[in-house]
Amino acid sequence: MKVWVWRLGIAVAALGLWEAVAAPLNPLFYVRPTALPGALVAMWQVPELPPLAEHVWLTLREIGAAYLLAVAAGLWLGFLLGLRRTVGRVYEPLLAALYAVPSVVWYPSLMLFFGLGPASKIAFGVLLGFFPIVVSVLAGIRQVPETLVTVARSMGAGPWTVFHKVMLPAMASTMVGGLRAGLALSVVGVLVGEILGSRAGVGYVINYAYGLMMTREYAVLAVLVAAGVLALDLAGALAEARVKRWAG
Amino acid sequence: MPDGVATAAPAPIVLDAIGKRYETTSGPVQAVDSVSLTVRREEFVSLLGPSGCGKSTVLGMIGGLVTPDAGRILLDGVRCAGPSPDKVALVFQDGGLFPWRTALDNVTFGLELRGMPAARRREIARGLLEPMGLSGFESKYPRELSGGMRQRVAIARALALDTPILLMDEPFGALDEQTRLLMGEWLVGIRRRTRKTVVFVTHSLQEAIALSDRIVVMTARPGRVKDVMDVALPFPRDLNAPEVTELRAKLWEQVREESLKAMGGRP
Repeated sequence: MKVWVWRLGIAVAALGLWEAVAAPLNPLFYVRPTALPGALVAMWQVPELPPLAEHVWLTLREIGAAYLLAVAAGLWLGFLLGLRRTVGRVYEPLLAALYAVPSVVWYPSLMLFFGLGPASKIAFGVLLGFFPIVVSVLAGIRQVPETLVTVARSMGAGPWTVFHKVMLPAMASTMVGGLRAGLALSVVGVLVGEILGSRAGVGYVINYAYGLMMTREYAVLAVLVAAGVLALDLAGALAEARVKRWAG
Repeated sequence: MPDGVATAAPAPIVLDAIGKRYETTSGPVQAVDSVSLTVRREEFVSLLGPSGCGKSTVLGMIGGLVTPDAGRILLDGVRCAGPSPDKVALVFQDGGLFPWRTALDNVTFGLELRGMPAARRREIARGLLEPMGLSGFESKYPRELSGGMRQRVAIARALALDTPILLMDEPFGALDEQTRLLMGEWLVGIRRRTRKTVVFVTHSLQEAIALSDRIVVMTARPGRVKDVMDVALPFPRDLNAPEVTELRAKLWEQVREESLKAMGGRP
């Protein structure tokens, strides 16, 4: 309760500070927070663009697709490498090395492979979101206490029962952290993809507004994206806390 | 084992010259070497020896969790290959409770694997937890229980399987001395009620004497049977009785020798 009051206070203070700093400066470069609501209304229908809602909807769909694919690929590869010791020993160092490369360097080739449309954005979102998920699955598998598997085996549990009644719950808190980080990175991937080269989506509008020095509109979009990501991450945090409470 | 005429009831556990060797990075290690032992029905046998003498490996082999690479194991006259949850239940040192399951759901785990309906398995679990002084703690998670309580839940989980054989691997090893003695007294009561055949691994002389019908002293690695001692004293045992003191001295002499060997001749 008290924490929430403090957080709200900090947010208000930050907005106040922003207003105070931006007020005397050139409004073309420094947008004041009080100017944002008006800009949002104006932004909703920029005559030379499709309605903003369409861009938002497209970006959300791209994020959804990217995240689903990242989860599927991440879980699949994570379990493949984690459960098959030899395969894991061969590929894990390669994976770690790939993880260390700044993923943006792959984006140009993704655009070449998948074109300027949503596919390349989704691919980039998958690429970014997929790594933390794989890593968390691998870490999770390593954390499963040997004794718990032995207990289940002694009671007659086969490999599948051990997997879903012991391993999955024992890994849950580690895995859910990776799934949350993966979501955040999928969002980053899609937005960065849109900003770097596209014809639609929130990232495209941001780039468009920036290119035409529509600073107010750009600021509105940035705040909008921040709010959206914050809401998403809050949902993720709640889910994570729930799973952790359950899994101990 | 004499073959030919089948006797009326084969012994619940027969170990026939079993051995186990592990491959480690520093070469092969013979953990257990030709251990033979016959455990009689409703008997309480303790395996006593220095740490690393292969006691737990022997227990794991009886439980079907470790495959022996020499000799054979017969449970009720049937060769054992893999876990037999209908005959054998195990209790482990740190309890091995599932942290995401409540006390009650931990106890029902084995019954769940057998596909027993939920209502029935909860009833059984409650019936086990109640006389253990754990009613009111059914919906607590392991982290909310004391060490002694956790161990009782782990034992209840093993008892829920209702097997004739119970294998216990230093079940009270992580508890303090007082709790340990009390748990021992409690286990004597359980054993009398449930009439199980028990193999109990421990490195505590006191515990072995307080609980066992027979004590098997094992050698330092490779684990072999050094000596087998009968403890023909009535339960509950007075641990200050002169026979107990004498037995403890005899046991200590043997265990001391092996512990010294395990430490390379020097403590």
